[in-house]
Amino acid sequence: MTAPLSAKNKEKRIGLFVCHCGVNISSVVDVEKVAQVLKDYPGVTISTDYVYMCSDPGQQMIIDTIKEKHLDGIIIAACSPTLHEKTFQEAARLAGLNPYQIEIANIREGDSWVHTDKEKATKKAIKIVKSHVAKARQNENLDPIKVDVNRRALVIGGGVSGLQAAMDIADHGYEVLLVEKNPSIGGKMIQLSETFPTLDCSQCILTPKMVEVSRHPRIKLLTYHEVESVSGFVGNFKVRIKKKPRYVDEKLCNLCGECEKVCPQVVPDEFNQGLSFRKAIYMPFPQAIPGTFTLDAEHCLGLNPVRCGKCKDVCDKKAIDYDMKETIVEEEVGAIVVATGFDLYTMQALGEYGGEKYLDVVNGLEFERILSASGPTGGEVRRPSDGKVPKSIVFVQCSGSRDTEKHMPYCSKICCMYTAKHAMMYRHKVPDGQATVFYIDVRAGGKSFDEFYMRTVEEDKVLYIRGKVSKIFKEGDKLIVWGVDTLTGKKVEVEADMVVLAMAMVKADGVQDLLKKLKIATDIHGFLAEAHPKLRPVESLNAGFFLAGCAHGPKDIPETVAQASAAAAKVGDLFAQKELIHEPTVVPVNDELCSGCGICITMCPYSARTLDPDRGVVVVNEILCEGCGACAAACPSGAAQQRNQTDNQIFSMLRAMLRE
Amino acid sequence: MRVKLKAGRDKRKFIERIEELSGENVFACYQCGRCSAGCPMASEMDLLPNQIIRLVQMGLEEEVLRSKTLFLCASCFTCESRCPKGIDMARVMEAVRHILDPKGKDAFGPGEISPELAKELPQQVMVSIFRKFAK
Amino acid sequence: MKLHYYPGCTLKQKTTALDISTREAMRRLDIELVEPEGWTCCGAEYPLTEEKIVGLAAPIRTLRQVREEGGDVVVTTCSFCYSVLKRANKAIQDDPLKRKRVNAYLRDDIQIDPLTKERTTGFADYNGEVKVLHLLEYLRDTVGYPRIRERITRDFRGLPVAAYYGCRLLRPQKEMAFDEPDSPHIFEDFLEAVGCAAVDYPFKQECCGSYLSVSLPDAATEASYRVLRSAKMSGAKAITVTCPLCFYNLDHRQEVIKAAYLDFSGLPVLFFSQILAWALGVDKKLLGLGEHTVPADSVFSETPATEVRS
Repeated sequence: MTAPLSAKNKEKRIGLFVCHCGVNISSVVDVEKVAQVLKDYPGVTISTDYVYMCSDPGQQMIIDTIKEKHLDGIIIAACSPTLHEKTFQEAARLAGLNPYQIEIANIREGDSWVHTDKEKATKKAIKIVKSHVAKARQNENLDPIKVDVNRRALVIGGGVSGLQAAMDIADHGYEVLLVEKNPSIGGKMIQLSETFPTLDCSQCILTPKMVEVSRHPRIKLLTYHEVESVSGFVGNFKVRIKKKPRYVDEKLCNLCGECEKVCPQVVPDEFNQGLSFRKAIYMPFPQAIPGTFTLDAEHCLGLNPVRCGKCKDVCDKKAIDYDMKETIVEEEVGAIVVATGFDLYTMQALGEYGGEKYLDVVNGLEFERILSASGPTGGEVRRPSDGKVPKSIVFVQCSGSRDTEKHMPYCSKICCMYTAKHAMMYRHKVPDGQATVFYIDVRAGGKSFDEFYMRTVEEDKVLYIRGKVSKIFKEGDKLIVWGVDTLTGKKVEVEADMVVLAMAMVKADGVQDLLKKLKIATDIHGFLAEAHPKLRPVESLNAGFFLAGCAHGPKDIPETVAQASAAAAKVGDLFAQKELIHEPTVVPVNDELCSGCGICITMCPYSARTLDPDRGVVVVNEILCEGCGACAAACPSGAAQQRNQTDNQIFSMLRAMLRE
Repeated sequence: MRVKLKAGRDKRKFIERIEELSGENVFACYQCGRCSAGCPMASEMDLLPNQIIRLVQMGLEEEVLRSKTLFLCASCFTCESRCPKGIDMARVMEAVRHILDPKGKDAFGPGEISPELAKELPQQVMVSIFRKFAK
Repeated sequence: MKLHYYPGCTLKQKTTALDISTREAMRRLDIELVEPEGWTCCGAEYPLTEEKIVGLAAPIRTLRQVREEGGDVVVTTCSFCYSVLKRANKAIQDDPLKRKRVNAYLRDDIQIDPLTKERTTGFADYNGEVKVLHLLEYLRDTVGYPRIRERITRDFRGLPVAAYYGCRLLRPQKEMAFDEPDSPHIFEDFLEAVGCAAVDYPFKQECCGSYLSVSLPDAATEASYRVLRSAKMSGAKAITVTCPLCFYNLDHRQEVIKAAYLDFSGLPVLFFSQILAWALGVDKKLLGLGEHTVPADSVFSETPATEVRS
């Protein structure tokens, strides 16, 4: 279908409403003058101003005027259309006017907020408004495009945020696909020892959730799977998921562990942050879900009975299959929750702290494993180099955080609390040990957080030194920490047996390619960007995508869980719609003008345009078209014209603006 | 005695002058103290480098100008390389030395090197120290 | 081939060992070092305030002279000279106001034709055309460490040696761009290339006390002691430097250090150029070992002086 080009047969009756926005606009733009000047402009039937157009009386005035003056086009000269376009479209609808006859002339963000000279700003406002009048005269009535919703959700990431989101969506009554790239769900939280400020055992509180998710009738768990690509749009996504070969049939494996015993290949254990070893065929941790062994092909001697084959020989259940191949699963979903987690900043980046060189300088997650009862030392605090119990540990906060110069400029938010927990637990486990914490500020703003921190200081006698460590080096058996106490003005040196660096939280390394493929918006640090920092904190700018957990930025467990539940609720909102509304301001093709050159196809970021080989013209899937206009700008023949944003309209706007 | 914090032009003038000379934003400093923690000469100083910058932020000009620290800095730039906010403390030190009374005494002048020592010293040491500490 | 070389004042007066061994070593690599005509002292300290523009005049005049002589690279060995030349050059490249002011100041320099003795003025503006390199950078990037290895005729046979960077080579990193300030390795890689075993020790980038050596000798003694002790504790049989002031503090000061710190028993201090020259087969007499306070002969005699390759 092609839209008719401008209908100039009948002169429109246009109403102009100029908003003061309190003093946001009127202190810089002479709004009365704008309304006055435009009164006699061709096509304008009525022109007026008001203090708050978005207020109830403001909107009522617009509705009444439309009816009274039989207006068929409206200009609201106010703030950016991203804020109130919907409000005024709704007002038009109530007055019986097609909502796409509304034009927003932005004289706030584009004018009053960026200028100070009242005379010039007023002149600019007049030009902006005139250009919109020129456009409004050619606007067509449009009807929204309606689409069905697929009420199935995809959750990417099986950490605590993904688990919570999956469970909530499933409990709302919808089907969920939960994709996790590792052999087991559990994420980072399953690696933690105790959790602040209650000292609940992390595994004890997470494993029931993991079991619940795995048994939920509406959750399909896809571990050792990776999302390959996503196409489509909100309500109607097509997802390709790669199933990585486990080389062990999870239904047959009975966890006897004989394969692990005979495997000759020893590999650093990821679950213990490389502080211990596993075999090439392994179970990540005892409570792993699904409960099955996985053969890590990268470290296996070759998946070949001639080269080794010991595990296969010893498996009574015949669960091991070297011929398993990678396969692709295709699924359709209506919403996607991205819960891909975080990583810790590499210690290598901080050469002055020696984390790369010295085994006994560890990061926060490594220390979690050292504290954990399921860790490499069985929960006893022993240092990695020689297994001795450290009698002095120095904790260094803000390692790589709050550094605008070389590292991460932001606060990683959870380190103050987990460092307090580390120091406290160390003092509990090694009562004669000295714990020293170097900090810049202690940020303990959560519920019961400050009390916890104070307990660490007052009851466990942890020495907090206010100053950032400059350098850590080894002398003999000791690590020497050079710091300063800014409260007394003393340069200090601490001898330590072990140092724990609270490394900055950064974007997850392994998922950056995936995020690029999802075309999901991220911030400058690579964390997911929310649609609005205050009012839409769990939605992505990309419709149909929702955010949960540390993929969005550093946060602690309660905040992660809350955000995951909020994302799930938002998915519920989406699925509760009977049908979805798609903006009709798409770019159709005028068959008579299209030469089938295909330039627009290469320009389209949404794959909405394809060539019809029989007719030699481009056809458009209007549901996929987001109305970005890239094709219209590139089309050499003028066949691609965006609805209510045609070339003619743009030229009219330019003429109106450039004419004195 | 309580230190009275000044407001207004005098205080601003001092801070602005330091910022103009050094090219550094002294208010970027959040007092983590890392400059002092790594400073090889900090143990000799009456005020630590971070305290110098703090006093500049507070506009306490006299206290800064009479500190011995100004003449203990070896310009080794360890502070610069560690500062999480990218402030070059050596430049701030130099700026403070720059605004000292031009009629005042040299902190370290040519008269303080004996002819015997001068014979032994590398040239660069004398050029350096007079450039830093003499008028 | 010829290469512009800025020795700086100390190398011409007190620390000739560094100058001579550098020239001899480079000659063995078929490179003749030429000094820019009429060079002056660089000023030793890069001016750290925005208003001390005049401090840029001397180094820029020298760099301009290199350009006038058709050079596009100048190498130095002294860390102070390197720091001043490199930072001044960068300031001229990056800061249009400094460029304008320094050039305005230097434009009317008088130039005397060496043949006709004709005096002319009016130099073209200097815009940072010359590249300032430390000799180590030149050896690594232009000559190449593998090529040096090929030319080696004497073997240190894995003698453990500490590389001492000190302050000026590395910092400020944004301007010097010499190496990572907290995990440098260019110097160690050099030592390995000439057959030594580079010793890792935590004080390689700490300050030796620098010019405080004269105003606050005790502090410099302590600072230098800590560097030497750290190198020695890590198993070094010698410590290598590139800077005459580091050399002064670590070598000339060692008698005082030994008297003040009884746990320290001495460590030879060498210039990197002496190591290079000897490895390339330069006669020991040309290494300037007579300038050392701490006898350094042992470093060169512990290993067989027989040529391992012709």
